[in-house]
Amino acid sequence: MPMDSKEIGQLLEKYWNCETSLEEEQVLRSYFNGPNVPDQLKDAAELFRFFENERQRALSTEFDHNVMQSVKKTESKTKVISMFRWVQVARIAAGVLVMVAAGYFVRNEVLKSKDQSQAITDTFSDPKDALEETKKALMLISKSFGKAKEGAGKINMINEAEQKISGKEKQKETETDSKSI
Amino acid sequence: MFESRVLPVKNKLFRFAFRLLGSSEEAKDVVQEVFIKVWNGRDQMASIDNMEAWCMRITRNLSLDKIRARQRKATDPIEESFDIQNDSRTPYEATENSENMQRINQLIASLPEKQRQVMHLRDIEGYSYNEICEILELDMNQVKVNLFRARNAVREKFVKINAYGL
Repeated sequence: MPMDSKEIGQLLEKYWNCETSLEEEQVLRSYFNGPNVPDQLKDAAELFRFFENERQRALSTEFDHNVMQSVKKTESKTKVISMFRWVQVARIAAGVLVMVAAGYFVRNEVLKSKDQSQAITDTFSDPKDALEETKKALMLISKSFGKAKEGAGKINMINEAEQKISGKEKQKETETDSKSI
Repeated sequence: MFESRVLPVKNKLFRFAFRLLGSSEEAKDVVQEVFIKVWNGRDQMASIDNMEAWCMRITRNLSLDKIRARQRKATDPIEESFDIQNDSRTPYEATENSENMQRINQLIASLPEKQRQVMHLRDIEGYSYNEICEILELDMNQVKVNLFRARNAVREKFVKINAYGL
């Protein structure tokens, strides 16, 4: 649909006010890139031609090839990085495993020693039995003490005998002394 | 899927990155980075409804990162890198690149970042306002305000007022 310059002028005014639709902007674009642009619209035409020119700017065709290569390169790189990361993770995991194992054994030992101390205190379930057994034990100790006392008594007798003997000797000495005087 | 859905938009991504960076080499790098990102995340591709807008958004973010890195270095001013583009143009582009085209190019390059982005997406790529909102993560009002300012800056500086005699 060919438009005259007046209509284009009105559309352009709408354009400056940002009231044009994309379709209307497309009309302006194709009009200004056409051959019959009047002089008074030349500056605006330059602007729309600039837009059109810029729209033609493109990457070279090798770009696709290059980009796919670099994309694949980074992919293999990230694979290597992730392998490297796995090794690091495995190292840390091994360290943690050693710590956990050590902790487990230490804990077992502590529990075992606790069990033993509990075994000493808890051999009887009935307190009466425990009392009887304790009494027996105490009696055994007291019997032993009795025997020990008898033994000690004998030692005492020896002591007394010794004292008696030494006493008699002293008496004899005094007797002889008085005789000599 | 990757080759059918992503590779066809490469030129749009390239142009957008080029508009932001002003250097075709850097723009190429950005597009490549975008593709690597998309490739690595291709398992989630199915859950993205607008693949193209998503790629454009990544392009924008990576380009802005590059600009920020450049500003941190401060050894590579933007004006300088905009000159590089002339060397990288094909002979066809060089002949097409009249004085006026260069003036318009510089004019758009001098616009504030958001205005430049919105104008590029609308006037060069022909995206709808909704798509522009999605790509730039802006609301409708911001998109329209920025487009209005961009168009009027270009109009005032380039197109003579009343030149088309209403």
